[in-house]
Amino acid sequence: MPVIHHQSVLKGLTVQEAMRRSLIQLPRQASLEQAIRYLIKYKVNALLIINEQHEPLGVVSKTDLMGAYYAGLPVDAPVETIMVGPPLFCHPEDSLDAALETMRTHRVHRLYVLNEAAQQAMGVLAYPDIVGLLYRFCNKCNRSISKNQDLADRFQVREVMTPAVQAYGQDASLAEVMEGLAAYRFGAVLIKNLRDLPVGVVSKTDLIIAYKHGVSPQAEARTIMNSPVQSCDQEDLLLAALQKMIFADVHRLFVYQGQPQHLVGVLSLSDVARFRSGSCRACLISRVKID
Amino acid sequence: MGLRASDVMETNFYTLLPQTPIAEAVKIFKQASTEKGQIVFGMMVIDQQGNLVGMLSMYDIFLLIRPKHIHIWGEMSDIDVSGIIAQACQRARSLVVGDIMTTEVITITPDTHLLSILDIMLKKHVRRLPVLEGGNVVGIVYMSRVFDHLLERLAG
Repeated sequence: MPVIHHQSVLKGLTVQEAMRRSLIQLPRQASLEQAIRYLIKYKVNALLIINEQHEPLGVVSKTDLMGAYYAGLPVDAPVETIMVGPPLFCHPEDSLDAALETMRTHRVHRLYVLNEAAQQAMGVLAYPDIVGLLYRFCNKCNRSISKNQDLADRFQVREVMTPAVQAYGQDASLAEVMEGLAAYRFGAVLIKNLRDLPVGVVSKTDLIIAYKHGVSPQAEARTIMNSPVQSCDQEDLLLAALQKMIFADVHRLFVYQGQPQHLVGVLSLSDVARFRSGSCRACLISRVKID
Repeated sequence: MGLRASDVMETNFYTLLPQTPIAEAVKIFKQASTEKGQIVFGMMVIDQQGNLVGMLSMYDIFLLIRPKHIHIWGEMSDIDVSGIIAQACQRARSLVVGDIMTTEVITITPDTHLLSILDIMLKKHVRRLPVLEGGNVVGIVYMSRVFDHLLERLAG
């Protein structure tokens, strides 16, 4: 009997080929304020915390910093008070597929790549970088997009998006927004005005900047929201949406149906990375391999 | 003669406050360059008490403008990049100098020897060094000025 394996387009790649080599790390005594500065400056979602011997101890993510803000911790507290450790590791020679499976089962967005001999981290594998790989794959593929293909063969945003939107009124407090973000594991929430129309977005990045700037958690969401809302139509092609995210340097797009005011979902880089396929159905064919 | 920081430092310089918005800081860079008649690539950040708290350089601003996944762009032949600076400025709207400045700053004193300055600049890959006396900023030494000075001495 033939066995059918569903493969992803990333099959055959190793962690080494997909990882990012520039690691952003801080010693454990560094302050939360410094951690926020590094996250903003280097555009990363988490930092590796190391000891005096440069051995990895833990991770501080935007989510952890948002928790510190919510709990009222002073920004000069050391990062070791909020870090989550030990970090989850993979190895340079591991298959990318296995590493992605570990990320999925542990519900984390990144793995650090361990150099066993030195007991030091040598790189990081994160969802946004995987999306970059997928984009490159599709752009090079002869069967993909722009190359005489029926529209029906290409994936649309609605097939990959998370079909739910968490929204708050513009007068909701930052504390309420943080509660929502923590409970639903979203990276950002939509802010609506008094007429129930979307007017902005508050992300974890906006919240940690507010934390660093000493904004009260009781301040209204509209004081720190980002506008306009970066969005796309659910019928848009996945590749076009990806291109938009890469260009605008954002981690998510809100998805509307027909009218931009009618938001129905969110497309995040994590959604696309979890999808682990290319942007058209040509991949579905190549993904079914009969042994 | 001419062997110490005090001989080559610039004592007339612009500074930034940590709470200055990024857009404002960029304007000050431009203003300083116009006034000096040469491009200013980095400035000291000094708080209201007069303490040196960091440096903001062209490098820090480049980091902010560069989209994270720029390496993929080489393969985006069909994309219009004209909006990129505007997009980056839009994203940076809520940011201030203190959010992206470099705080690990190496400083020297007015009597630091010119060759030590050279050594620090080469080893640490820095192009400018604040000069502190008794904790107060009294000047800044630019790599170009050090080079200029050395050339003069060598030629002489």
